[in-house]
Amino acid sequence: MENIYVLAEHRKGVIRDTTWEAIAAGRKLSSELGVELTCILLSANAAMAETLSTEAPRVMVVENPIFETMNSEAIIKTLKEVLKPSGSYVLLMGASNAILDFAPGLSVALDAALATDCFAAEVRNGKLFASRQMYSYKINSLVSFKDSERVVLTIRAGSFPYAPSDAVKGAIENVACPIDPTSLRKRFIKYVEAEKGDVDIASADIIVSVGRGIGDEPDLDVFQSLADTMGGVLACSRPIVDKNLLPKFHQVGTSGVEVKPKVYLALGISGAFQHLGGIKGSPLLVAVNKDPRAPIFRVASYGIVGDLNEVVPVLNEKIKSLKG
Amino acid sequence: MNIIVCMKWTPDTSEADLTVSTTAKDIKKDDLDYDMNDWDRFAIEEAAQIKEKVGGKVTVVSLAPEESEDMLRECLARGADEAFQIWSDQMEGGDGYAMASVLSQFIKGRPHDLILTGTLAEDDGAGQLGGMLAAMLDIPSATLVSKIEIKDQKASFVRELEGGLYESMEMDLPCLIAVATGLNEPRFVSIRAVRKVTSIEIPNVGIDEIGIDVGKVGQSGARVEIEQVSLPPEGEGAEIIKGKPEEAAARLAEILKEKGAIG
Ligand SMILES: Cc1cc2nc3c(=O)[nH]c(=O)nc-3n(C[C@H](O)[C@H](O)[C@H](O)COP(=O)(O)OP(=O)(O)OC[C@H]3O[C@@H](n4cnc5c(N)ncnc54)[C@H](O)[C@@H]3O)c2cc1C
Ligand SMILES: Nc1ncnc2c1ncn2[C@@H]1O[C@H](COP(=O)(O)O)[C@@H](O)[C@H]1O
Repeated sequence: MENIYVLAEHRKGVIRDTTWEAIAAGRKLSSELGVELTCILLSANAAMAETLSTEAPRVMVVENPIFETMNSEAIIKTLKEVLKPSGSYVLLMGASNAILDFAPGLSVALDAALATDCFAAEVRNGKLFASRQMYSYKINSLVSFKDSERVVLTIRAGSFPYAPSDAVKGAIENVACPIDPTSLRKRFIKYVEAEKGDVDIASADIIVSVGRGIGDEPDLDVFQSLADTMGGVLACSRPIVDKNLLPKFHQVGTSGVEVKPKVYLALGISGAFQHLGGIKGSPLLVAVNKDPRAPIFRVASYGIVGDLNEVVPVLNEKIKSLKG
Repeated sequence: MNIIVCMKWTPDTSEADLTVSTTAKDIKKDDLDYDMNDWDRFAIEEAAQIKEKVGGKVTVVSLAPEESEDMLRECLARGADEAFQIWSDQMEGGDGYAMASVLSQFIKGRPHDLILTGTLAEDDGAGQLGGMLAAMLDIPSATLVSKIEIKDQKASFVRELEGGLYESMEMDLPCLIAVATGLNEPRFVSIRAVRKVTSIEIPNVGIDEIGIDVGKVGQSGARVEIEQVSLPPEGEGAEIIKGKPEEAAARLAEILKEKGAIG
């Protein structure tokens, strides 16, 4: 590999944290491969490159109003041209929802291999390996890339801890925008905010959260009652909202609400990365799940392996009696 | 309006006790139940609803062995007009790229205004096939789409970002949309509805009929190689409270109290 690139992600004029973590991954691979790291910024405002230049020895910037947002078609077409002369490389970026929109198409356009949502990457004897998860996030998979000169990796949040560098002053290189934005078939219209509800789980100290394990026709009163007894609020994982059992503002996770409680009780929740990604501030995490291998038990402080239908009613009564 | 829906046939692993196969390149799958990928259930429903609104034809396609026929038949009962099951032994060991190559070759030859996929499949957790397929067909695409409206040769849609933020966008047809879970309410299919479609033939298509080079499919067409799969290390993990459900629940209540976790 001759080059390592990191594509910066930004939203509403601010570089997103996914970028710094991709840079952390890039630094690791760049020292293992002994090649330089270049950060690529596609932005409506080239001045954003200043913050990046303190973290990467080289920054390439394409400035155009179309890059106000992360329009997948604009990004794919632009990178295809910008990276044409680049020989062999690894291109890194965060595994965010914006990047999920273009990483696969980009890999095809670049004629590159792709591994998404990687939590580790390393070079051994000149060969690149990446680790990701499969099968409901219960299996780790180590992958390599068949005689591929070009590899695109998206990086799972939290996998490569980032620390600011001691002030590299990277060179900033402006590249002319190679595409005609008016020819795009995909257009951004506007941002839309999710509706706010009457319960604010983001500020709750105690959260009782339910997942798919409560079944298709659950009696939610049982769980609401437990939440009430504990002095907390009821929250849930994504499938519960998908089934219209609770409104969206109850959903914990990367595409739902970020919470930072003191206590988080996970009932029938497997502990998928996107769910855990919404739980901040390392609360006392307690899980009830009938699958002893559920990923949630790897991050919980306490767990009960069992059927929540049997555990929850007793738990509720016991807490009531302890409260006196 | 010609709508093509790509359905993946996946093992249900969410509650299963998984073990690694002897080659360590995959898990043992013999005892697992297979069904349609959860995300794709929303894709077929959306196709049926769009057809009900603007008219047209819904074609379902899955790259999966013959056992997937029940899933395809269920798709017919859910509102699809025709279904194709594509498989050849040479397709074994293909990654998302190799699968997308087959699908694009198949779809190129037929009319398509809108292609629907799920955003992600729970087996490989890759979230890659839709975007790859669109790029191969040179049509625009979007993933994680939670609302779609088709009008005037355009798809207006909303896609999910993080933290309760969405982006509203539009694309010219033909295009590919990878849907998010929850964008509709998949209908209930009765046994009667499935019975009504038993006479519809579901063709099995092999790679020679599709006209794709063998080198592009299966393991030889793959760009990513799985070196090894493993169960994640146990790590510190939770302290498991043992005992019968009542005992464990009682102990947990005490722990919560000790930790000041009862408000
Ligand atoms: C881009 C993207 C964004 C996402 N955003 C979010 C998000 O914001 N929030 C979110 O939650 N998910 C999100 N997801 C989905 C996420 O990947 C998982 O699919 C989801 O979190 C799984 O929810 P779950 O744990 O309730 O269900 P499952 O994974 O199906 O787990 C159910 C669990 O219940 C257990 N169980 C079943 N029956 C019982 C019983 N009787 N007693 C005890 N235990 C039982 C099972 O063993 C299993 O572990 C997102 C996914 C993607 C790709
Ligand atoms: N073998 C397949 N046959 C048909 N569609 C597929 C297949 N594999 C993936 N897909 C589609 O692509 C989506 C994303 O899958 P993946 O890239 O495997 O995460 C799925 O939700 C399906 O709609």
